[in-house]
Amino acid sequence: MGHATGTREDWLGARIALLAEEKELTRRSDELARKRKALPWVAVDEEYAFETEEGTKTLAELFDGRDQLLVYHFMFGPTVEGWPDAGCPGCSYTADTLDGAALHLPPRGVTFVAVSRAPLESLEAYKRRMGWRFPWVSAGGSDFNLDFSVFTEEGRRTGAGFNFGTPKHAGEIDLRRDELHGLSAFALEDGVVYHAYSCYDRGTDALNATWQLLDRSPRGRGHDPEGWPLRHDEYPR
Amino acid sequence: MAEHKFGTREEWQAARDELAKLEAEQAERNQEIKQKRLDLPWVPVEKEYEFDTEGGKKTLAELFDGRSQLLAYNIMFGPDYSVGACPGCTSLGDGLDGSLVHLNHRDVTLICFSRAPIERLTAYKQRMGWQFPYVSTYITEFPFDFGLALTEEQAQQIPEVEEMIDNPSDELKDWSVQTGAALKDGLREAPSWIAFARENGTVYHTYTVVAPDPFVRPYFSFLLERTPKAPPAEDRAWRKDEYPD
Repeated sequence: MGHATGTREDWLGARIALLAEEKELTRRSDELARKRKALPWVAVDEEYAFETEEGTKTLAELFDGRDQLLVYHFMFGPTVEGWPDAGCPGCSYTADTLDGAALHLPPRGVTFVAVSRAPLESLEAYKRRMGWRFPWVSAGGSDFNLDFSVFTEEGRRTGAGFNFGTPKHAGEIDLRRDELHGLSAFALEDGVVYHAYSCYDRGTDALNATWQLLDRSPRGRGHDPEGWPLRHDEYPR
Repeated sequence: MAEHKFGTREEWQAARDELAKLEAEQAERNQEIKQKRLDLPWVPVEKEYEFDTEGGKKTLAELFDGRSQLLAYNIMFGPDYSVGACPGCTSLGDGLDGSLVHLNHRDVTLICFSRAPIERLTAYKQRMGWQFPYVSTYITEFPFDFGLALTEEQAQQIPEVEEMIDNPSDELKDWSVQTGAALKDGLREAPSWIAFARENGTVYHTYTVVAPDPFVRPYFSFLLERTPKAPPAEDRAWRKDEYPD
């Protein structure tokens, strides 16, 4: 069962060949980043109200004086494991890594917030328990999460169409009822809020540093073992 | 004045669907590369190394802390840095603590190395509020053997390094002030990730990745790839407690 071993020269030869492929992947990734930023911006006409630590705010007010907003759609609501005390374990696992990264965004003109359906008191209590610093607001009973998970009339009517209608999870996720996990990007210009980008499911993989670190570990990511990931304070000692 | 396009929801949806296909292709390509990474031969580490840690002197095998995988980031913080570690590496460090417990429960020990003496690393870790183990390579040849640092002679033989020292950009001049290291000393540290495995008592080196690979960037850069606007062209980093207002 041992892994293939080799000399330093064997390794170096294989590593240099792999580096060429990694560089090619980086070039394609840079190209994707450019294409994301070239998506047309769509004006947001709907009025949303969010409950925040500083009272009720509109979507424009969530920008907090900056002109770009990243929203992490965090699953915390009546259909999510842990309700009403805790948010989704998988989202919590991702939020652990977003927390340290998000504090470097405001100086770069980007405001980061997490948005959930759960009431503000639940979010604040769970945030304290987890020790997170990012702002977290409640979309309450509004359609915010639904509106930014499906973008077609049919999707809104039937709840289908998660992750741009990709086959995985098709038919099993009803967005009218289920919470979703994803990232949306908004811009504010001349008082108008625009929606620019959203990604879900595996599209958020790159945002989670732990996945990326596992991908560079000797044994890789593999299949998730039983009972992993858990909320960071729930692992057996 | 706007440099970008505006559109209807239908136009966005069509463009986003196209982009989703490209993102899926990229994910498949990434999957292939991940497999090739796992297929790299493991190279046994035959030399004995000793490190200064917060818990006293430890061997490379002991740094695994009982697990079978060791993943380490080498923060640019050499003995000559009179102010502190590289601000970019420091920002990367800020993104690590959230992964610590999850990786530990996947049999991976996550640490950081730097070449400055352990007292300076421990003080800096305290200032930054970090939790991960921070290990000093001050007393060992390890960083030179594994490409985590260059000797003065090695540095002089690399034209790119010589060029940066002779004709530094404004960002690099500021970086020199931020770290308190002359560029000829400061640029001898290599920002890199390095991975080791331990099996049947033997430690193996498995993987190294160095800048400018995007993985050797602070994690917020992955978020910035998804913002509506292009990030500023200049590549400056600040420590989280030193941002200008």
